[in-house]
Amino acid sequence: MRALRPPRPAGNPAVTTGAPSRTLEVDDRPGPPGPDGHAAAPGRRRGRGRQHSVQAEAEQLMSPWLAKLVVAVIVLIVLVPVGYMLALSFTPNQDVALGTVSFATLTLENYVHMWSDAPLASGLVNTLIIAGGAALASVAVGLLAAYPLTRFSFRGRRGYLYTLIGVQTVPATTLLLPLFAVFSWIQTTISLHLIGTYWPIIITYMTFGVPLSTWVLVLYLRSVPRDMEEAALVDGCSPLKALWRVVVPVALPAIVVAFVFTFLVGWNDVLFASVLTNQSTGTLAIAIERFASTANGDSLPIYGELMAAAVVSSLPVVVLYLCFQRYLVHGLAAGSATG
Amino acid sequence: MPAAVRRGWAWLVRNWRDRPLWMLIPAGVAVFVIVIVPVCLTIWLSLLNVNVSTLREWLGAPFYGIRNFVNAFTQPSVLGVTLGRSILISVMFSVLTTVLITPFGILAAFSVHRRFRFCGVARAIYLIPYVIPTFVTALIARVVFLNGTGLVDQTLKFLHLTNGNTYWLIGGNAYWAMQLVELWATWPFIYLVTLAGLQSIPKEHYEAAALDGASKPQRLRYIVFPGITNVLLLGMLLSTLFHFGNFTLAFVMFSSPPPPSVEVLPIAAYYNAFDFFDFGVAAAIAVVTMVILIIPGYIYLRMTRLAGRVN
Repeated sequence: MRALRPPRPAGNPAVTTGAPSRTLEVDDRPGPPGPDGHAAAPGRRRGRGRQHSVQAEAEQLMSPWLAKLVVAVIVLIVLVPVGYMLALSFTPNQDVALGTVSFATLTLENYVHMWSDAPLASGLVNTLIIAGGAALASVAVGLLAAYPLTRFSFRGRRGYLYTLIGVQTVPATTLLLPLFAVFSWIQTTISLHLIGTYWPIIITYMTFGVPLSTWVLVLYLRSVPRDMEEAALVDGCSPLKALWRVVVPVALPAIVVAFVFTFLVGWNDVLFASVLTNQSTGTLAIAIERFASTANGDSLPIYGELMAAAVVSSLPVVVLYLCFQRYLVHGLAAGSATG
Repeated sequence: MPAAVRRGWAWLVRNWRDRPLWMLIPAGVAVFVIVIVPVCLTIWLSLLNVNVSTLREWLGAPFYGIRNFVNAFTQPSVLGVTLGRSILISVMFSVLTTVLITPFGILAAFSVHRRFRFCGVARAIYLIPYVIPTFVTALIARVVFLNGTGLVDQTLKFLHLTNGNTYWLIGGNAYWAMQLVELWATWPFIYLVTLAGLQSIPKEHYEAAALDGASKPQRLRYIVFPGITNVLLLGMLLSTLFHFGNFTLAFVMFSSPPPPSVEVLPIAAYYNAFDFFDFGVAAAIAVVTMVILIIPGYIYLRMTRLAGRVN
């Protein structure tokens, strides 16, 4: 029943600046310190020319030409469908239906008409409210839980953590059916109108958000020394105040990462939103999905507009992910690489 | 048990200041109420006869025992597929995807491991299929595989491989179209995992190998693969779990209802519940899904070792 030791020695610059433990990241820097904890030797810089070539040779896993060929092929495989989407989004609907895509008829009309043909604007607002609300609540709850989980040892801690990881493997339909049944039961028995409002869907997204953000924050807080908050506690701060005033500013990068990833769960979901929202509260994904199902078998194919809507709804996500790409396998690498 | 409650309360008050374990309560309650309770309810629902007439008062629905399970396995669903066949489709879909993307992802990671000009650009492009939302991938696929006028059919016709009418989005072809799309969309996960594994191998190991005159295959065999095996196995397991739960692709890529050949388990549960309003059978399908995932889920828990390492 004693408090945990600070996980990292103070004075490590990566720790005091609040950067997350480096072994967790996929970053562009070559070679973070290995699992044995040896950082790169300080004398490495000298004699760089020769050293560098030997090292580069040693680390080379493929001959340079083969590597270039592989890169070219993969880039092509990735970009052809994406380019096709972009090209179609600038092509009039009729041309797409006929299969004649040419650069002579490029137009912006799809990007103009789609807003009136599908409720995309309200979908966007709904997504921001629902996914943002769920992410905010998840991060708040996750931070509260991550703090004691990394600062104290107590009975049940291991079970608590395992439960948090374990619930992430529960299939989504297993949650959707009873949640829908319970929400509709509440609706009939106490005539509290729920399905179609924001609340059920926000609560539902927390099923993914709470474990996800708790995990991200646990991994991060483990590498933050507790000296500062101990000083705050000695000075008479309540634990909550110490958490808010000292831990939150230091853990801000991880909080942002947890928020973004939880937000994207809501942005990308179709399953829960298709059942728990109605016409006026439908998220962007649902608005587009419904738009797509009208595109099928209808007399007027609107594939051009559909692709324009697809571009608009994936652009923010792609940008967000590329900004946070080094954290993509955050927990994963940490959980196993050095385990 | 009022005594236990009182003791618990005293414990809370004692720990309020020095060991604020009460902070665990919100997340614990959230996980209990929105995950653990629903899982138990699903098991309960699967034993009741909850259909369109009893859904409103499902708590009082007649007890059905294992009849929902029997029905799910013996009678075709709304889409014309039995549960056994859905299991087969789901297992094949997820296992085949993982098996095929693993070598591809490893190759991709190797190709950008050593830095070169535009390496950062290549790495960013590699991530695109993975970060595009699944519903957008499905929409692209829907247009790319359009019969006659889509990119695939036009290319096949141009190469004189088919007459241009392959009907990718209906019938048996639909499965392979969906499989191809899933491969395209998910290989970067294995790539990311492998790259993370490669970066955790200390440079010194490579240098030592070079000094000892190890050949390239020897280096791969004795340094690279041992260094990435752990993280790669975890990645493969996790990726199989992900593919198993992929509802969005089949739901958005095809017109509703999707063709029987793509009726994976989540689709089967969804259409039974929200098209046919047979919540009992849908819950039975969900329970079967959960049972199938127990073993990989358990291995995953054991492999992460998160809890052990915090201690």
